Amino acid sequence: MMTSLTSHDRLGKYGAGPMSKDEGQLQDDCVVSLEGVVIGYDSNNPLLKVPDLTIKSGEIVAITGSSGVGKTTLLRTIAGLIRPISGTLRVCHSTLPSKPPRGSVGYIPQRLGLVRHASVRHNVMLGARAGHTNPLSLFPSSEAIEHTDYSIERMGLTDKANEPIRRLSGGQQRRVATARTLAQKPKLIMADEFLSELDEETLEKVLSEVTGYVRSSGAALIVVEHDFARAKSMADRLLLIDDGRVNPFLSETTAVEVKI
Amino acid sequence: MITGFSKTFLYLFLVLVFAVWVMDGLVHDWGRLSGSGGNLVTFFKESLWPPNWSVIEPQAYPVCTAYPIIDFTCSTAWIGMVETIKIAFVSTVLGTIISLPIGLLATRNLNPKGVSYIARFILAAARSLPSIIWAIFFVILVGFGPLSGVLAMTIYTVGYLGKLQYESIEGMSSTPLEAASSMGLSKLETAIGVVIPESANNLISQTIFMFEYNIRHGTVIGIVGAGGIGYYINLYLKFLQYDKVIAYLIIIFAVVLLIDFLSIYARSFFTEESDVKRPSWWGVLLPADLVTKLRRNREE
Repeated sequence: MMTSLTSHDRLGKYGAGPMSKDEGQLQDDCVVSLEGVVIGYDSNNPLLKVPDLTIKSGEIVAITGSSGVGKTTLLRTIAGLIRPISGTLRVCHSTLPSKPPRGSVGYIPQRLGLVRHASVRHNVMLGARAGHTNPLSLFPSSEAIEHTDYSIERMGLTDKANEPIRRLSGGQQRRVATARTLAQKPKLIMADEFLSELDEETLEKVLSEVTGYVRSSGAALIVVEHDFARAKSMADRLLLIDDGRVNPFLSETTAVEVKI
Repeated sequence: MITGFSKTFLYLFLVLVFAVWVMDGLVHDWGRLSGSGGNLVTFFKESLWPPNWSVIEPQAYPVCTAYPIIDFTCSTAWIGMVETIKIAFVSTVLGTIISLPIGLLATRNLNPKGVSYIARFILAAARSLPSIIWAIFFVILVGFGPLSGVLAMTIYTVGYLGKLQYESIEGMSSTPLEAASSMGLSKLETAIGVVIPESANNLISQTIFMFEYNIRHGTVIGIVGAGGIGYYINLYLKFLQYDKVIAYLIIIFAVVLLIDFLSIYARSFFTEESDVKRPSWWGVLLPADLVTKLRRNREE
């Protein structure tokens, strides 16, 4: 009797499962290093001076702080979307503004950045394409297709795969954005409040999938999380940005690494 | 003290005064207006009315081979109108295919300034001349007939539609583009995978609008010999047969109204949310707010 294989079985067979333990480490590691970086939109009025920092493969770093202190701006700067006012920023062997290699960085913006009029599968495929298909190829590689199916399945979105994003709930959309990044198999994931709007059960699932991927593949994860307790529980290292609300003796907004 | 509301009125009044002053500079003899009403009545009674409906009767030559019940398909009005619609259709399809890549290159959120300036220049050049001037140009180049009409309308469609396209693409949310850029997707992949699907509804709706626009303008280009119903209008204008001209104009009015309705109906499928109210026949004729009021009353 023939039995149908699930995506997980197939990927296990090919040894390409994004989150399978036996698949081994990513070939090159991706180190993020910040030296004398000052961020902000206006050089006369910098938002924040970031302490020198090196984030290695396999590390989970959470950036936390009150709203409006510059957590998202810091993440967007590391993602290469805003130029730092001064300092040197290296991401996956590239010094900004030159871009890191294709597919090495996965970014989940706070507003998710999904194509609202396209299906779940289309959106997840975008990530898989970046990670597993030549940019000049018209069609996605078979590897990209398998990673797409696998990530959709892991995020529990199989029955929604052909639904357009605009018909999904906020929590479901967040899972699509996460699936898009996992299908890409990046060496560095940057996620901005990617756990908000999720109910407790889904939150646990999404978090375990992402941290599981980071631990098994040796990727790095930088996550912006306003909830201090949650940030502390998920991260190896914690970067606290404080504008004086935590420490009233501060004269300017400061980022400090907090021991956990 | 002048409140914000009365300030707005004051500005509007000043604009009106300025317009009257400019108009006064343009017109030297206001007395000419006095006889115009009488002229209109005479022209209407003696030349325009009643319309000469022989334009929907089959032509004497070539001999009509259609069944008697559909022999109007051998009439000049039918032949001209169908040709106009064909010209509009072909030039909308060609114009859309050509304008999309140029429109994508013209966007500032996807391309460096230099590239977008060049693409915008091309679109502005195509748009700077009205389609009737392009039609004169192509009649000189390729001769009379629908080919010059198609070429003229295609160029104008590229210019006009390209502008609508890059404006709607620039208006899209920047986060999907940022996510694509961080992932390392190429410009082409971003255009095909993110930009086009995200703005597809707008692009389709604009293309349908352009088809409707091309039908309206296609009726005029025939006047310079570029095919379509305008050819017959020009012919009978020259023979001073205004009763036939008014018959053609009534037919054009009816067809444009029909296409307007179909266009609004078709576009309503591509709006943001799918539960949009479909338009009704009277919605084409009445102002939008009145339609909303009438619809609300009916539902109550």
